[in-house]
Amino acid sequence: MITLDTLTKRFGSLTAVDALSLAIEPGEVFGLLGPNGAGKSTTIAMTVGLLRPDSGTVSVGGGDPADAQVRALLGVAPQALAIYDELSARENIQFFGSLYGLSGKDRARRADELLELVGLTDRAADRVKGFSGGMKRRVNLACALVHDPKAVLLDEPTAGVDPQSRHAIFEIVRTLRDQGRTIVYTTHYMEEAQKLCARVGIIDKGRLLAMDTVDALIAQHGGQSVVRIERGETQERVQTAEPLAVLQKALAAGDATGVHVERPDLETVFLNLTGRSLRD
Amino acid sequence: MNEIWALALKDLKLLVRDKAGLFFTFFFPVLYAIFFGTIFGGMGGGGGGSGETAIVVVDQDGTDASREFAAALDADSRLAVTPMPDRAGAEEAVKKGQKTAFIVIPEGFGSVSLFRGEPMKLIVGVDPSRQAEGGLIQGLITAKAYERLQSSFMNADSAREMTRDALDEIAQTDDLNPLQKGILNTFLGSLDTFLEQAPDAGVIGGGDGGGDDGGDGGDSAGGGAAAFNPIEIESVELLADESGEGPSPYAITFPQGIIWGIMGCASGFGISLVTERNKGTLTRLRTAPLGRSRVLLGKGLACFMTTIGVAAMLLVIATVGFGVRPGSVPLLAVAVFSVAVAFVGIMMLLSTVGKTEAAAGGIGWAVMLVFAMLGGGMLPLAFMPAWMAPVSHISPVKWSILAMEGAIWRGFAPADMALPCGILLAVGLIGFALGARLFDWNEH
Ligand SMILES: Nc1ncnc2c1ncn2[C@@H]1O[C@H](COP(=O)(O)OP(=O)(O)O)[C@@H](O)[C@H]1O
Ligand SMILES: [Mg+2]
Repeated sequence: MITLDTLTKRFGSLTAVDALSLAIEPGEVFGLLGPNGAGKSTTIAMTVGLLRPDSGTVSVGGGDPADAQVRALLGVAPQALAIYDELSARENIQFFGSLYGLSGKDRARRADELLELVGLTDRAADRVKGFSGGMKRRVNLACALVHDPKAVLLDEPTAGVDPQSRHAIFEIVRTLRDQGRTIVYTTHYMEEAQKLCARVGIIDKGRLLAMDTVDALIAQHGGQSVVRIERGETQERVQTAEPLAVLQKALAAGDATGVHVERPDLETVFLNLTGRSLRD
Repeated sequence: MNEIWALALKDLKLLVRDKAGLFFTFFFPVLYAIFFGTIFGGMGGGGGGSGETAIVVVDQDGTDASREFAAALDADSRLAVTPMPDRAGAEEAVKKGQKTAFIVIPEGFGSVSLFRGEPMKLIVGVDPSRQAEGGLIQGLITAKAYERLQSSFMNADSAREMTRDALDEIAQTDDLNPLQKGILNTFLGSLDTFLEQAPDAGVIGGGDGGGDDGGDGGDSAGGGAAAFNPIEIESVELLADESGEGPSPYAITFPQGIIWGIMGCASGFGISLVTERNKGTLTRLRTAPLGRSRVLLGKGLACFMTTIGVAAMLLVIATVGFGVRPGSVPLLAVAVFSVAVAFVGIMMLLSTVGKTEAAAGGIGWAVMLVFAMLGGGMLPLAFMPAWMAPVSHISPVKWSILAMEGAIWRGFAPADMALPCGILLAVGLIGFALGARLFDWNEH
């Protein structure tokens, strides 16, 4: 669906995206995980034709996103909220619909569907200005879907969002996936990538460090699990690739008062790949 | 086109919901026009101006006297005089706003007999929007006329000539009774003898005496008129409408009000492009299948429609509420269209000057205020020094006001509209093309 081939983008002396190659399959939820400044937004901007790469190529459904027809396959929810504060939720959706040549009737119907999808039907007529961060994010997302795109690019869709809205956004992403859309989801929250994405690319300083399913990434780069065994006041930490065996042994000994297993996660993967934490 | 229309409608909706924007675009210009129109009305054309006033002098007489008079006007530091051969051209220059007033020195100016109380005649026409300077010009002309009267008697040759003329006239006239004739003949005869014997035949020492004598002579010759005015100014009412009066103050202040509204418009939409870029909505517009030019044309269309709306609203208020009667509605439509195009181009250019909204707004208004000051969109008009007149040509505000005034009360023919409207259209098209090229699409 989307293929990036050795994409490079420099801003002055800074290389924001460095020879990045990716292939995103139709219908998959692909996560682009990396800390702030890793080059995620720059990658999205080049994918949708907003920025011209210094070198490398982008192909969307076999075409160049500089072509408007090709671009129409994509829906983007930019990291910076790209909606009008003084317009209502419905007006925002309908306005962006009008840019894709939807008729008045189609726009109204599409707006109803999308307001329903993002759970803002009862706030449809209210100006976005008074919305919470999470509600604005949902309007921002709805506007990306107005032309029924095959692929949706969500750039940090949970930035500045309360836990409840975050949960609602996860549900929306799952619904979009079930509708058969290809989804690119950028985030610096590893638990989101872990929860939502079939495959994850880990990006840092513009470079793609690893790309695979979450399980495979953990198996390959996560290292060993840590099993903590409590015996009254004392505690033992065991690093192991076979946490189940360690647990069975501890339980068989009969003196354990508590056990705890820390499985490696994408955070550990990132730490092992870069020597830094994702949140730095 | 549908997409451009959708973009423009969105911007109009946003404008309507922006209270400050609405105020500066629609209400402030109306307040401006009414407020200053009323003040102007109360002042009856305003007070005195300062600086040089640009006038045209047409010397139809071509005598030494008329040339001297024209030179005296030219020598005055308050006037910048351009000579012209014919009256039609002079009237045209004032109508078109190139000069503030014209003065025609008609044939016979040099041969009037001051002794008979015949005043020197002059024909004066003042741009109705610059009545403040009109008063100044009338005052100056009168002063020059007195100076000339006085100097006539200080120069022995001309005084003698006039004395002889007077004697001839007295001989021929029937207006005087024999006693008066006798006294005058005796007095003037001895004056003639005195002047003939005056040493050097040059300037008589003690000019005061000569002047006084002359004054007496004039009084007597005029049959004892108490106050002799040596000059008679025939005022030409330029651009009068059916009522026979010049334009009302509102006909002058409403076009200025329109300019303020349009400047508010242009800077508002210019800033909104910067806002859209920096907030990110422009990003989404660019991902739509639109192309950059249509995004900008949408903004331009919104600016254009608002501009037309402001102008239409003010013109309706001026017509219905303040008795302004546009001379030509079709030409006014052409003028407003051209002004709107010009300011769309200016809007586009302004959107390129600042990276942030605050910068774009600040720089935008600074540029607008300079345009307004140079172009006469700002009061007090009369205080503009003459050196600014050529500078004002660079201001689109000047051409905008001229085009609108031309259609409302300057009585422009379509051919007269060509220059200001052509300049405005060129400003609009070049400004838009240049602005679109220079516009930085990336967020900061
Ligand atoms: N328009 C720009 N001009 C200069 N530097 C930029 C620009 N956009 C992004 N950058 C820089 O490029 C790097 C990558 O930015 P970005 O792609 O936004 O990262 P992310 O989205 O992963 O947080 C950052 O160091 C950022 O400061
Ligand atoms: Mg980003």
